[in-house]
Amino acid sequence: MKLYYFSEMPHHEFPDEEGDKYPSLRLEFPNRFFDREKAAANYQRYLTEYEFADQAGFDGLMINEHHSTPSCVNVGVNMTAAILARTTRRAKILLLGNILPIEDNPVRMAEQLAMADLISGGRVLSGFVRGVGVETWWSNTNPVHNRERFEECHDLILKCWTEPGPFRWEGRHYHFRHVNPWCLPLQKPHPPIWIPGTASPETAVWAGRRGYTYVPFLVPSEIARELFDYYRQGAAEVGRTVTAENLGFLICAVTAETKAKALEAGRHFVWRMGPTLRAPTEYFAPVGMRSRAGAQFALRARPRSLATLSYQELLDGQFIVAGTPDEVIDRFSRIQRELGVGHLLLEAQESRMDHPTTMRSIELMGAKVIPAVAAL
Amino acid sequence: MRPREETISVGGVGVHTWIGGQGDALLVLHGAGGNRGWTRWLAQVAERFTVWAPTHPGFGRSGDADWMDGIDDLARFHLWFIDAAGLGRPHLVGHSIGGWTAAEMATMSPGSIDRLVLVAPVGLKPEKGEILDVFYYSPPQLLTMTVHDPKTVPEWDELYGRAPTPAEVEIATRNREMAARLTWKPYMHNPRLAHFLPRVTNPTLIVWGREDRVVPVECGEQYRRLLPNADLTVLERCGHLPPVEQPEIFARLVLDFLGGHNRR
Repeated sequence: MKLYYFSEMPHHEFPDEEGDKYPSLRLEFPNRFFDREKAAANYQRYLTEYEFADQAGFDGLMINEHHSTPSCVNVGVNMTAAILARTTRRAKILLLGNILPIEDNPVRMAEQLAMADLISGGRVLSGFVRGVGVETWWSNTNPVHNRERFEECHDLILKCWTEPGPFRWEGRHYHFRHVNPWCLPLQKPHPPIWIPGTASPETAVWAGRRGYTYVPFLVPSEIARELFDYYRQGAAEVGRTVTAENLGFLICAVTAETKAKALEAGRHFVWRMGPTLRAPTEYFAPVGMRSRAGAQFALRARPRSLATLSYQELLDGQFIVAGTPDEVIDRFSRIQRELGVGHLLLEAQESRMDHPTTMRSIELMGAKVIPAVAAL
Repeated sequence: MRPREETISVGGVGVHTWIGGQGDALLVLHGAGGNRGWTRWLAQVAERFTVWAPTHPGFGRSGDADWMDGIDDLARFHLWFIDAAGLGRPHLVGHSIGGWTAAEMATMSPGSIDRLVLVAPVGLKPEKGEILDVFYYSPPQLLTMTVHDPKTVPEWDELYGRAPTPAEVEIATRNREMAARLTWKPYMHNPRLAHFLPRVTNPTLIVWGREDRVVPVECGEQYRRLLPNADLTVLERCGHLPPVEQPEIFARLVLDFLGGHNRR
């Protein structure tokens, strides 16, 4: 099983009581609380941690993108990929991912990903996501079109990568008369495509049909298994065999020399489950963004929202793993056995988890955990 | 006379329609909340007019129209509805997004309609203030922001007094999705509409609630300025739903303006 390092690049640099005054940290929390000097230093710090994760032996570096929220100030996943393409050497660069429905120019997207792939020597894993509602508000994209735009944007990017230009694209949402990108990915036919899942059975089926790597995020393992069943259903429709390589899972994880230290560090993950997910329904799921089936599945997948779970409940539910390297290896092995995944994505830094703690965890993962789980 | 319900086919879309009354045809277009059916003010107006109250495509029990992208599509559709239903040259009343639709219809084909009543229509970008982002709030929150004072709404109990059935929740969700489909961007307005409104010389009555928290009352003044033959009436202690909040007064305004079957 391969391990991936991930930080949301949080900006938890404000008094919590200020954030509590607003209906959500997303969309509504005023950006006068954005601290420019601290942000400048944090970007350097977060990139250093990614580079160290590459050196320490992580198989991949996962990056993502959000907007209008202190929970993640990585506002351009392709920008970060371009930096890591130059400053890292070995690990895959997993963009998970680009938010396709809010993208107005899929041709530019195809070009930028190709350029990152070329610069990195073919290390890009190109994740495509539908995004949460917050990004729909941020971009003012009609949520009713979310799935249609996701699929059409995907189709156009794929065509840019796989069919010779020039060609014309007149779709439902995208219109280009002269498509002929002079930048194509190094990997042939194109970088592997990854798709995350939280609650949409349609997405799992869709990814299964195409053989993309599918990764449920922070869901109970029984829900992950159910989503994998949808994925297998899609794969079976087209006669595809599903292997561990096709399946991943994302959790929060930190390790330290002692269990006490790890548990102390792991507490920082509670912020991303609680305060940063606190919001009226409409912020995360504006009208029309989810199908009725998706909305019903989401209710079942999360009978209680992550925001209402205590630290202990999050540990018990395996949303967070925090322990000594041996304990972490044990937990990861269990996840691998339960889910049969080939990729485990670790959100490994959060909130105010400090630089030394983060670096030490990366170091221990590299020295002990990664070699131990590699054979699983 | 009791109203009847019919499904009228327009371009392959079944349009669920309430029909009732006697006299000249009066076409009534509902707002984003959907077709509330045979409410008190309609019954009153139907004493002098034959009321046709269609449910927009994608709303309520009408058929789907996922291909529609904006209110101008809905306006062309309802001009077609006038032909399909054989309404001749009806009077036209539209509320909120139905008012916007009515205004667009009038700019497209002023000769197709007689008198025009616009009730708190969206459609113009407010010169002052903003149109409330209705999709940002939950339906219960929205309801309290939509009316001035629930206690003064005579039909409150009939319309909102009990928990909705699952079928009603499904219809409300569908209504909201279609409203989003039609009005998301530019939000609730057409930047080009102001350039076309001067074409509409039809006698027009604009009605607004002074306490409208959804669409600023100043937009009523903008419409009045742009329409060559329009009057604006502002109702005190009234929010965004004049036909429901003050049904007697609203029906009286409409009847006085339209004149009934003796007016020529």
